[in-house]
Amino acid sequence: MHFQLAWRNVWRNPRRTTVILIAVIIGVWSMIFLNSLSRGFLVDLEENGIATLTGHIQILAPRYHQDPVVDNRIEQTAEVRRLLQAELPPGSVWAARVCVNAIASNARHSSGVTLVGIEPDKEARLSFIGGAVSRGEYLAPDDDIGILVGQALLDKFETKLGNKLVLMSQDTGRQIGSRAFRIRGVFRTQLEFTEKQYVFVVLPAAQKMLKMDGAVSQYAVLLPDSEMVDTVAGRLQQAAPDDLEVWTWKELLPLVKAYLGMMDGFIFIWNLVVFVAMGFGLVNTVLMAVYERMREFGLLKALGMRPGRILQDVLIEGFYLLSLGLVIGNVLGFVSVWALAQTGIDLSAVAAGSEYFGISRVVYPVLAAKDVIMADVTVFVLGLLVSAYPALKAARFTPVEALGRT
Amino acid sequence: MYLLSSGFRRTLIFVLACCGALLGAEETDADRLVEGAFDYWRGTASIATVEMTIHRPDWERTMTIRAWTRGQDDSIFTLLAPPKDEGNGTLLKDGEMWMYNPKVNRVIKLPPSMMSQAWMGSDFSNNDLSKSNTLLTDYTHEIVGTEEHEGKKVYVIKSMPKPQAPVIWGMQKMKVREDYIMLREEFYDEEMRLVKFMDANTIRPVDGKLFPMVWIMRKADTTGEFTRLDYLELAFVEDLPDRLFTLSSLRNPGR
Repeated sequence: MHFQLAWRNVWRNPRRTTVILIAVIIGVWSMIFLNSLSRGFLVDLEENGIATLTGHIQILAPRYHQDPVVDNRIEQTAEVRRLLQAELPPGSVWAARVCVNAIASNARHSSGVTLVGIEPDKEARLSFIGGAVSRGEYLAPDDDIGILVGQALLDKFETKLGNKLVLMSQDTGRQIGSRAFRIRGVFRTQLEFTEKQYVFVVLPAAQKMLKMDGAVSQYAVLLPDSEMVDTVAGRLQQAAPDDLEVWTWKELLPLVKAYLGMMDGFIFIWNLVVFVAMGFGLVNTVLMAVYERMREFGLLKALGMRPGRILQDVLIEGFYLLSLGLVIGNVLGFVSVWALAQTGIDLSAVAAGSEYFGISRVVYPVLAAKDVIMADVTVFVLGLLVSAYPALKAARFTPVEALGRT
Repeated sequence: MYLLSSGFRRTLIFVLACCGALLGAEETDADRLVEGAFDYWRGTASIATVEMTIHRPDWERTMTIRAWTRGQDDSIFTLLAPPKDEGNGTLLKDGEMWMYNPKVNRVIKLPPSMMSQAWMGSDFSNNDLSKSNTLLTDYTHEIVGTEEHEGKKVYVIKSMPKPQAPVIWGMQKMKVREDYIMLREEFYDEEMRLVKFMDANTIRPVDGKLFPMVWIMRKADTTGEFTRLDYLELAFVEDLPDRLFTLSSLRNPGR
């Protein structure tokens, strides 16, 4: 009976109810929509970071992380290989890399790049490069003179597929090691920085050029599930030979990790701000509805209705308002996120700025269950709490007071 | 054929044996020309004073450089003027390069990252200096034409880099006179467009042999920019002591 009564009360003034419903709907919709956008940025940031040659876990020579030069290399490759085969969960992908700074030059231009020597087959499943070659072809494992460069580097060097690129870097004997490569393929990525920075050759070619004698710079590991990172990294660290260092992506990309932590807090604060705006509207509406019906409440009181019942009645009205708004808001939120996910948000216009943060040119919104639940719970619980105020007011009216007002 | 009669005779025998080898014989001559030109240019050892003028559309700067060279690999330069830069030096030895700045009293070994940068702001890159002799080792040469210059025959030599050679140029062209004087060197990119070129002129007898006293390096796609080297003094000597091409000599040039 209470519920029916409350439902009818809600629709006694349809215009007012519609207005407050719209407020709730817009609030919930904006929470869900904006949270999914922020989450999209974050996921993008994290995925870009991991795919851009970070992986989930890296095994590095001591001091390599501080100073990624050829002097800090892993010599005991056989041991690391054995360790990785033994310790990694099934479904993991790992590969060895040579990764040092180098200078690329052709007849007209030269520029600093990061030379990455890769095992092409394994690397294809490990990092972005496997699916990024847009023209030409990917490296074959025995392609000793092939090199993959980014589209941006190709443009900057005014060169084309099949042309020569000379790489120079310091070798293990502290001499200048240099080698000519042929541009075999061109890759495109979301970030122009990546296209300009990284050039890929096969591992043996890089080792030969730098006189590394079979040594590598790093081992990168991609796990089947990112939740396992910390436990696997712990196991590897215990079993790792000598002083080799095991790093997780959270340590390798501290900025991304900090963003992830900050974003949860940011989302909560945003929800709160939206709610405060919405909450005042809600209180005001319910309060007005209550004052309007003062005589009615006085009558109910005079007939012997207990204050608790009146409180309950008004709260149920608030509950209806909130539930209705939440349902519609959620549906609207899902629909708009879905619509946006078809195309993504094109940030090309502000590419320079977004790249600074390592965000892609096109960002897709991501709906996370915890964000939706947090938004809904915030609105629902706090909404009920604020409607308790007018409800309490209503419960306190005495029949005499009510008669005194018209 | 044209230069070395013994080479010609051998060539002739070879041609008689196999006509198709004519091209190969020509290449050998081209190799000799290039190597002869380099030997002639550097001498066994030389001591020179050179004025280097870097010209740009809106400014010009002149430096005086004292240079010692020995063979194809070793050279040391020190600046005499302007006074602001006096004592700055460059040492080239076995394909490596060091620079000395007296103001900070430091010798630095040039890292790979600086090898493609300009040497002292000129149109010569550090690579041009340290790798000049790679023309002998990393290229195959071919005579593609002849010209006349001051009554002497000039060979136009096309030099293509060997496939794996770590050189940035797509092609070099040289004009070498029959007396081994190099008149012009052109640098092309892989699309065979001219990138920069160096002209040698004002050929004078100096210390018993003819030598071009003015060298000008220009970039092909700019006008009004060049670097000119004027030899003020030049002497060819039999040998120079080892101690001249050391890091301590870089700090105390000429001692």
